[in-house]
Amino acid sequence: MASRYDRAITVFSPDGHLFQVEYAQEAVKKGSTAVGIRGTNIVVLGVEKKSVAKLQDERTVRKICALDDHVCMAFAGLTADARVVINRARVECQSHKLTVEDPVTVEYITRFIATLKQKYTQSNGRRPFGISALIVGFDDDGIPRLYQTDPSGTYHAWKANAIGRSAKTVREFLEKNYTEDAIANDNEAIKLAIRALLEVVQSGGKNIELAIIRRNQPLKMFSAKEIEFQVTEIEKEKEEAEKKKTKKNI
Amino acid sequence: MAATFFGEVVRAPCRAGTEDEEEEEEARETSEDTEVRRQLAQKREVQLLRRQTETTLDGSLLENHPCSKFIIAIGNNAVAFLSSFVMNSGGWEEVGCTKLWNEWCRAADSLHLCPTDALCVFYQLKSDPSVFGSSPRKNMQITILTCRHVTDYKTSESTGSLPTPFLRALKTQHFKDSACCSLLEQPNIAHGLPAAVLSYCQVWKIPAVLYLCYTDVMKPDIVTIEAFKPILSSMSFKDLVTAVPRRSEILKKLTSSETQSNIYT
Repeated sequence: MASRYDRAITVFSPDGHLFQVEYAQEAVKKGSTAVGIRGTNIVVLGVEKKSVAKLQDERTVRKICALDDHVCMAFAGLTADARVVINRARVECQSHKLTVEDPVTVEYITRFIATLKQKYTQSNGRRPFGISALIVGFDDDGIPRLYQTDPSGTYHAWKANAIGRSAKTVREFLEKNYTEDAIANDNEAIKLAIRALLEVVQSGGKNIELAIIRRNQPLKMFSAKEIEFQVTEIEKEKEEAEKKKTKKNI
Repeated sequence: MAATFFGEVVRAPCRAGTEDEEEEEEARETSEDTEVRRQLAQKREVQLLRRQTETTLDGSLLENHPCSKFIIAIGNNAVAFLSSFVMNSGGWEEVGCTKLWNEWCRAADSLHLCPTDALCVFYQLKSDPSVFGSSPRKNMQITILTCRHVTDYKTSESTGSLPTPFLRALKTQHFKDSACCSLLEQPNIAHGLPAAVLSYCQVWKIPAVLYLCYTDVMKPDIVTIEAFKPILSSMSFKDLVTAVPRRSEILKKLTSSETQSNIYT
C-alpha cells in the first residue's frame, strides 16, 4: 500500500500517513548521533564526529552551529538541508534583533525553523527537509532551554534528548540516568552528555565534539584535550564503581 | 513490427510462439560464442582455497571437516557478533575460504577481488573439532545469522514505534529446539542467501534456524551486534562462549571501511 501513496509529498495514504515525511525521518537516522542536555545553569550539546577524509579541512565539517550569540543547534541528517535551514535561521535571528531590538528567544527561533520545515511538507514539487535539530540556549530571563524539531515540522521542549543514529539507545540511557543529582552542577551535566555518547560512539573520546552555553556567556566549543580529560575521569569513575560492586559481592 | 508514437519502429512481442527468425539466429552461433560462454562459466566457478597461500583445497570442505554445528553469519553486523562473542573465546583455526565472482562484481575476475568483495571464510574450533568435527552429517545443525533493515519489516504498527534492533527466528521442520526469540510473523519473509540456505536445509531435512536482526543501522554498529546476545543461551552456542567481551573491546574491533560520504552528517 505504501508504494502507491509515497511518491508525492502532498498525498495522504488511506490510513493517514504522509510517507515522504516518515521516509525523511529515516534520512535523519543516517546522520551520526547528537545529544542535548538541559542542566540547571548550563546547556550541553554533544555530537559524534564523522570521520573526516585525509585531505578534508576538519573545520568545515561541523555538526554544531551557532545561530546567534545565545542560541546554538546541532543537527542530524542531510548536510545540505541543514546548511539551508541554518542560514535561514541565522538571517531570521538578525532580522528579529534589528526589527524588535531584542534577541530572539530560543522558542521563537525553534518555532521559526519548525514552521519552515512544515511548509515543505505541504508544498507541491518540494520534499521535506531531511534533518532533525536540537536547539539550545538561554533566554533573557536566564532559563535554559532545549528544543527538538523533526522533518514533519513539530517541535517540543525536552530536558534531554538525542537524534540521529542509535538515538533510541541514547535516549534510554538518558531516561535512566537523567536525575536531579546528575545535572546538579555544570560538570556533571557535561559528563552525562559524554557518557550518553560513549554508549554508541565507536572508538571513544576521539570521535566526540562538545559545546556548552552557560548563563550570560557565549558558546564554548570543547577542545580535544578537554574532552579526553572528561573521558578519562568518566573511565576512572566507572572503574571505581565496578570495584565497589565486586567488593559488595564478596 | 509496430510503429510507436515517436515514429520509431519496434519489434512487438509475438504471442504466436517462437518465430522462425529466432531459430535462424540460434544456428548462427559460432564457436567463438561457445568459447566465451565456457570462459564465463569458468570464471563463475566457486573456488575453495587456503587464504594465506592461495592454494586450492582438494575435495569438499565438509568431507574433510564434517561437523555437527555449522554457523553462518551473513552481513557485517552478524559477522562482527560472531567474531566478538564466539570466536573471541577459544581457538578458532581457519580451514579455508571461497571466492565468488559473477558479472555484478566490479573486479575483472576472482583473482583481483579485494577482501570486501564476495568472500567466505571457514573456521574450525581447535579445542572441539565436533564443531566442524567428526560426527556424521546427519546430526548437523545449522544456525544462520543475518541482519535486515527495519523498513523491510511489515507490521501494522509504524516503524518508529518498533523496539529496534530486535530479533526474529525462522526454523526448518526438523529443528526441534526452541528458538531464542519469537518467530518471524507473517507476511514477512527471509531473502537472499539466508533464505536459500534455509530452503536447502528444509528440503534435505537438516535442522536449521535463521536468526534475523531487524535494525535501522546497517553499518557495523554495537547496538545491533549486542541485539544478537540472546542467541548465546541457545544449545548451539552455550559451549562455545566462555567470556562475554566488554563493550569497549567490541568497539575497538569495529572499523568502518566504507568510502567517505558527505551527504549525511
